[in-house]
Amino acid sequence: MAEIEQFLKDMGGKVTSIIEKKKRLYFNVTNDDLQDIADYLFNKMGCRLSTATAMEMYHGIEILYHFSLDKTGQYFCPRVIIKDKKNPKVNSITSIIEGAIWIEREIFDLWGVEFIGHPRMEELLTINHPGTLKQPLRFREGA
Amino acid sequence: MKANKIPIGPFHPLLEEAEYFELTVEGETVVDIDMEIGWMHRGHEYISEMKTFTQSIYLVERICGICSTSHPLACVHAVEDIDNIEIPLRARYIRTLVGELERIHSHLLWVGLAGHFIGYDTLWMWAWKYREPVLEMFEIISGNRNHYGMMRVGGVARDVDSAKIVELYKHLDMIEKKMVMVAKVVRDDPVVKSRLKGVGVLTHEAAVAYCATGPTSRASGVPWDVRRDEPTDAYDLVDFEVIVLPNGDVYDKAVVRVLEVIESVKIIRQCLDKLKVVQGPILNNVKDISPGEGIGRYEAPRGEVFHYIRSDGTNRPIRHKVRAPSYVNIPTFTASCKGIPIADVLITLASVDPCYCCTERSLKVIDSSCESRQIDLLKSSREKTERIRREIHGN
Repeated sequence: MAEIEQFLKDMGGKVTSIIEKKKRLYFNVTNDDLQDIADYLFNKMGCRLSTATAMEMYHGIEILYHFSLDKTGQYFCPRVIIKDKKNPKVNSITSIIEGAIWIEREIFDLWGVEFIGHPRMEELLTINHPGTLKQPLRFREGA
Repeated sequence: MKANKIPIGPFHPLLEEAEYFELTVEGETVVDIDMEIGWMHRGHEYISEMKTFTQSIYLVERICGICSTSHPLACVHAVEDIDNIEIPLRARYIRTLVGELERIHSHLLWVGLAGHFIGYDTLWMWAWKYREPVLEMFEIISGNRNHYGMMRVGGVARDVDSAKIVELYKHLDMIEKKMVMVAKVVRDDPVVKSRLKGVGVLTHEAAVAYCATGPTSRASGVPWDVRRDEPTDAYDLVDFEVIVLPNGDVYDKAVVRVLEVIESVKIIRQCLDKLKVVQGPILNNVKDISPGEGIGRYEAPRGEVFHYIRSDGTNRPIRHKVRAPSYVNIPTFTASCKGIPIADVLITLASVDPCYCCTERSLKVIDSSCESRQIDLLKSSREKTERIRREIHGN
């Protein structure tokens, strides 16, 4: 597919661990390259950010972004792995995509990942919770 | 001019759902808006990790009473995406049929509420009257008026009884006639046009920046529709038009929806025609899901529903991400509500079709001296329509 070839030609040096499936391209990027990749996908290719998925795995916290190239139905999914689980931080892409503001706030809220450069890094879903919820989707001892 | 804060929500005796908005107004003009969500957070994603893939379908069906086909469809698409599972042709038509019926009943619900908000109660009563036969069609197909339980990984749970297709055609013929009438009212009525034209404009640039979806973005000239862009089920086998309008105001959002209803009727008719001749199984037997990850989406009435599922090879997901369209459409209020009068706030908030707006009406203004006065958003919206009606009709 021409769009994938062009993307890998321009950004190939910044992506690793590529998994290609029908209309799906998953790949790893470093935190340092994340904003370049987001800028390329959103501004140059015209992708839309559907959302981002956070997951806590044994090797770290994964943030998987889902960029939809709507004119072809292709998904580009850059994955950032944060190895420091105690103090997880990643660069914010909100300066590139305003639609990421709530998405990053939700991940901060539920997983405790701090997005560096986010204009309003505070809870989204548990902000008015009467209890003391703190990063409710992180693994817990004995859970 | 002194700025006042106007809190709307989060709880009200009439609210179906809770949501909180804080408007900053100068005089009658909105200069800023802040939003808080989370009042309805029920932890579906976490619960899903404790359910089997089949149980998760029923779980996500209950995320939303209106989108109770869109979430299950996106969920099964995500699981099917992991292993590239094919589904039988008859099941593809049944899925499309149910999905489009849902679009009609959701859009009619919105058209009715919008009519009520602007004081056009005839439109409200028509829209809800003609929504009823759509629910009857659901009952004929699934046995339920809502929460149909039709979706399965690999196909659908129930077949459509061939003997009842005649009955479905009768309902569809009536709905089609009435939808043409409702569309004419929305498009051509001078009062509706004057009341909604130029109100709550979401520009093309703002729709792209906020990653808005569905009629909210298509009314701003953003031409994306999952049904055409990544066709699943029978969407690549039926003819339909993606409705796109350029202005981004509430009027265009309303027109997009009523024209989409007519397109949905066309799609349903094609599905029924095919179900008369296409026979065969409705469900492929899927025993195991491989380790891997899958993305599933569906063009719900309000926009793209997105599901991401990761499997470790067991019978349940280790991660199930859900993103509903209102999640990306609600933040567009930041762009569309600034600079509009208070009388237009209610219909602008309602224009993206979030579920809660229909009853968020009464609010209290508190100024800096702690003096308060009551403002009824609904009343002020309907009064503006009445003023326009008098200007046009002269009495």
